[in-house]
Amino acid sequence: MDFQAIHDRLRAVAAPGLVGADLPRKPDPKVKKDKGRAGDPFVIVEAQRLVEFLEVCRDDDRLKFEQLVDLSATDPAKDDAQLWINVQLLSLKFRHRLAIKCLLPKAAPSMPSTVPVYRASQWHERECAEMFGITFVGHPDPRNILLPDDWVGSPLRKDYEFPKEYHGISCE
Amino acid sequence: MNFFLEGIYQTVGEHLPMWLMMLIAAVTGIAVVLGMVSLIAMFSVWLERKVSGHIQCRYGPMYVGWHGWLQSIADGVKLLLKEDMIPRDADRVLFMLAPGLVLAAILGAFAAYPLSPGIWFGDIDLGVFMIIAFSSMTTIGVVMAGWASNSKWTIYGSMREAAQVVAYEIPLGISLLVPVMVAGTFNLREASALQADWFGMKWFLFTNPFMLPAFVLFFIAALAETKRAPFDLPEAESELVAGFMTEYSGIRWSFFFMEEYAAMFLMSALGAVFFLGGFESPLTHFAGEFFGKELVVVGASGAKELNFAAIPYHLVAAVTLIAKCFFGVFLMMWLRWTLPRVRIDQVMTMGYKYLTPLSLLCVLGAALWEAGKHALFGS
Amino acid sequence: MTRETQSTPAASTRVQRLGAGELSVDIRTPDLEVNFGPQHPATHGVMRILMRADGELVTGAQPHLGYLHRCAEKIGENVEWLQYLPYTDRYDYLASMNNNLGYSLAVEALLGVEIPRRATLIRIICAELNRIGSHLVAFGTYGLDIGAFTPFLYTFREREWMMALFEKICGARLTYSYIRIGGLFNDAPPGWFEEVSRFCDVFEQKWQEYVDLLLVNQIYVKRTANIGIISREMALDFGLTGPMVRGSGIDWDLRRDMPYMCYDEIWRAGAFKIPVARGEMGALGDCWDRSWVRVMEMIESIKIVRWCLDNMVEGPVIADIPKTLKVPLGEAYVGIENPRGELGHYVVSDGGKVSIRTRVRGPSFCNLAVLEDILPGSLVGDAIAIIGSTDIVVGETDR
Repeated sequence: MDFQAIHDRLRAVAAPGLVGADLPRKPDPKVKKDKGRAGDPFVIVEAQRLVEFLEVCRDDDRLKFEQLVDLSATDPAKDDAQLWINVQLLSLKFRHRLAIKCLLPKAAPSMPSTVPVYRASQWHERECAEMFGITFVGHPDPRNILLPDDWVGSPLRKDYEFPKEYHGISCE
Repeated sequence: MNFFLEGIYQTVGEHLPMWLMMLIAAVTGIAVVLGMVSLIAMFSVWLERKVSGHIQCRYGPMYVGWHGWLQSIADGVKLLLKEDMIPRDADRVLFMLAPGLVLAAILGAFAAYPLSPGIWFGDIDLGVFMIIAFSSMTTIGVVMAGWASNSKWTIYGSMREAAQVVAYEIPLGISLLVPVMVAGTFNLREASALQADWFGMKWFLFTNPFMLPAFVLFFIAALAETKRAPFDLPEAESELVAGFMTEYSGIRWSFFFMEEYAAMFLMSALGAVFFLGGFESPLTHFAGEFFGKELVVVGASGAKELNFAAIPYHLVAAVTLIAKCFFGVFLMMWLRWTLPRVRIDQVMTMGYKYLTPLSLLCVLGAALWEAGKHALFGS
Repeated sequence: MTRETQSTPAASTRVQRLGAGELSVDIRTPDLEVNFGPQHPATHGVMRILMRADGELVTGAQPHLGYLHRCAEKIGENVEWLQYLPYTDRYDYLASMNNNLGYSLAVEALLGVEIPRRATLIRIICAELNRIGSHLVAFGTYGLDIGAFTPFLYTFREREWMMALFEKICGARLTYSYIRIGGLFNDAPPGWFEEVSRFCDVFEQKWQEYVDLLLVNQIYVKRTANIGIISREMALDFGLTGPMVRGSGIDWDLRRDMPYMCYDEIWRAGAFKIPVARGEMGALGDCWDRSWVRVMEMIESIKIVRWCLDNMVEGPVIADIPKTLKVPLGEAYVGIENPRGELGHYVVSDGGKVSIRTRVRGPSFCNLAVLEDILPGSLVGDAIAIIGSTDIVVGETDR
């Protein structure tokens, strides 16, 4: 199914938390400085209801997204007050993908963990947590995965300050 | 010892007291054993590297000497010059004792190895038993090494070694019982002499249909005893870095390796003597006919003297046995570089559940065969 | 007969006094906590697995990553689009061409450029040759883990030839930076295609050697069959891709099912098949099945290379891309079939010269997550076989 059909299906089954969709578009000549948008379409889902949304995606007969391919986060800009959560789903049965975006407030990003739905997100959420400072409520094993256990700060945020030293080793 | 003693008596003469002559004979014997083992180890190291190289489509050592024959010496020099490291938390006494014990055990086993039909260190009537007993003592050294290194991985190696050796002692001994039963003696020299008929080709392997399975079982058990692939779990390189030898470096490590090659040589010697004719081959037979066999003869003056004319025969016989031993060593090396490693529980299963009953069956079958031969042909 | 009670019983033994003359000893030793790595010959890189083992039986395993973390994603936000390419080589350094390809395809999805046909075909040849090289390493080192020293050298003999081919085309043996945004770095030198064709011919015979010497070797089968079984549900739930999932009987390959470049054309021409394990030597989804898939895939890659050589066209090898690239506003995710699974690049652009997010979905990272579940219950020797069968490259796990 193409994206439009998937989006229609999601609306038809009243997938919880579905806010809208964003499709690529050419620049609108009527709007000044509109650059349009290239790339992939995605649906926008409320972060707090992502778990239920993913359950619908996984279990619905016409969607059947058996695999969570990727769960990552993006810090769009230093002055942007939001973080994005990007989820990529894959259906082997119907050979289609779905890109999902959730928005989290940068000040205290917290959302329920999607591990009960897909075990694949366990390690992805750990990485998001340490790199962006996002708290996944209910995660079974919230340790740092790539960074040492005593690392301070969230490296992939745009306002991250590199440490001057670590355990007495200079980082200049 | 007999030869050495006689030789010393003949050459140096009656001037020396008996105890001094025995001392000199003993020291000479030990020196010969040490020399032999060192040469065997050096040659085996070179052989292993060339064999492994050629099996793996490469040459092996080529620079140090013609086709790398001096590589072993270069390695020996390097190992001697390495820093002697003992881990801080290791048990120092056991750590230092272990390689010594391992090497001492295998050197002791060499006392039963006959150099030639007339030259030996000691005509040991329990030769086979002694070799197996001494080579089992090396296990104690291995377990000591693994424990003393104070590392969990080395303990894995030594535990595996202990389990493996215990499991394969049984098929080793029982499969050796087949030719021992046919020969009627544990003595290596006598067993070899019994295979002299048919122009030196009446090897035990050909005299009994149960000899071939016994030989195969013996060979497999010998592979497991000497920790060679496919049973090289105690030193499994890719699993345990170097198993029980991980913390050893330099000359201590080379002791373990000397022991390994010496044990391989000894096991091959057992197989060669009891299955493959020992000293006997057509070449030895004709050399014996031509040169004469007795080294110590009664001379014209009525006293015992050395018969130098018989030396070529003894040389040929010694070389024959050494060639057969190195053939066995080569076979072990060939298998090492061809076969993957068997897992420890599979090793134990094979040893206890398959090899032991099969070797018992071989003994039973061989006994029945011999009894039948006696009954039918009365020989 | 009376006995004195022990004042302080040892931690691991408990002596119970039952009655006159009776004695019961409860010997239970605590589990051994062994550090598998970070320096270890069998972890395929710098990775640490904290194993709890009751003797030889593994009762718990916890992978610890991050030893090779080189901040690739942060660097992606600090260097220009074209400058990021050498960094992509270095995550899965055994299949650099595929990494370059994934990144280039993701950026090209945002750019919307059309890649010249010749470039596409050479890209496929390079990607498939690199897949062969990567599987050669995987298979060879897996044999090494199992204890077979020799097949490793045989596979590396072929890999040397493959690396020589790549050296001729782009100058590097391991990290190529050859497949660029818009096409390729340069055209193939004269005689290169003939040599690739010769390589294909010789490789087919050598491939048979690997099968005969190792894959169906009884000891190898006994070490890998019925070990580390990953069920279909587990494979889907954990997001496994590539040989991990095909080894569990799931018929899924991105080259056929979500084709990119001209794989759909090659598939329709019937040039290659997708090997999916059938559980020949034991339960479906065991280590042997996964190594079987990798060995079979090598031959299928040869067929793809042959098709591309037969259908090669002349033409330019790079589209018109400015030296300082500005990628239009947007975001795209492109997943390609890496030798290890689905390599995904998620790139976000704000219209500028530098990406605002370059997310790399490394297949080894996702494939590694199953270890926590399948290692317990196996023996230490099996643990090594299982870790080898996941075919991870720590550069990709840690990025």
